[in-house]
Amino acid sequence: MAAISATILTACNNNSNSSSKAGGDSSAADQAVPAAAETKAASPVKDILAGYLQLKNALAGDNGNDAAAAGNAMVDAFQKFDKSALTAAQKKTYEDMEDDAREHAEHIGKNAANVPHQREHFDMLSKDMYELVKTFGGGQILYQDYCPMYNDGKGAIWLSEVKEIKNPYLGKKMPACGSIKEELK
Amino acid sequence: MFIIIQFIQPARNNNGQVLPTDISKQCSLPQNVQAVLKTSCYDCHSNKTHYPWYSYIQPVRWILDRHINEGKENLNFSEFGAYSARRQLSKLKAIENSIHDNTMPLSSYTLIHKNARLTPDDNVLIMDWARKTIVLTQ
Repeated sequence: MAAISATILTACNNNSNSSSKAGGDSSAADQAVPAAAETKAASPVKDILAGYLQLKNALAGDNGNDAAAAGNAMVDAFQKFDKSALTAAQKKTYEDMEDDAREHAEHIGKNAANVPHQREHFDMLSKDMYELVKTFGGGQILYQDYCPMYNDGKGAIWLSEVKEIKNPYLGKKMPACGSIKEELK
Repeated sequence: MFIIIQFIQPARNNNGQVLPTDISKQCSLPQNVQAVLKTSCYDCHSNKTHYPWYSYIQPVRWILDRHINEGKENLNFSEFGAYSARRQLSKLKAIENSIHDNTMPLSSYTLIHKNARLTPDDNVLIMDWARKTIVLTQ
């Protein structure tokens, strides 16, 4: 999964980076530096998003331990997030979101033995992540997927980096349940 | 030893006033809902704990205090207004979820606090209130 998202990120960077590439540097090492800078500019929430996608995949596989690890990785990413580059309005959106999302990530981290409870928090966390990506961009193509069955038929959304539906709410019981609602670029 | 620890009585979780951030000042809170919250939730989820007589006996008090600290950290009705709008929504959903899943009030708490047990009617009342408040808050 990490490899896939890395590939997508690289692909995005290469596109947006074409001007600097015209300069003629072709070695991988030379490319890595502007790519890193570009990624930061493209999506300041890259690390948070990476943790979230890891969490989503763990839940799709009914793996509470991996989900907890991903939740903790997200808490870490929130802590390391650099707010200094944000505008005042962005900062407000971010802080409002983080206040809520970080707590969900913490709970998911503490509940490795309770996947249903992890999913309850994942439901709320996904809405925060959607707003976050809408505000800051994801730096990669993402899909907003929808599961109509979760939560006694009230439904729930999640974000995915792949087109194929892998339902994190129902897991292995009904992996393909759900549909793409929106493509986020 | 048992006698000695009886002299250790930490400060009580009861600040005696209703803060402006209290949920009753933030959301519409019908009296019957507030009564249930008071009896079954506030001991651990507010700044106003009602201490039963046996809370004066150590080490009961320490166990109780740990529960209260943890409870308040997760949700404090007295400081509900200080949460961001997003977090308030999450808390309301978590209230609905925990009642729905019967994870709250904790069974270890209701074992002793028999009056804190929620009847099926109480459950419906609280879940309905949470759902309505979620819609109003959104």
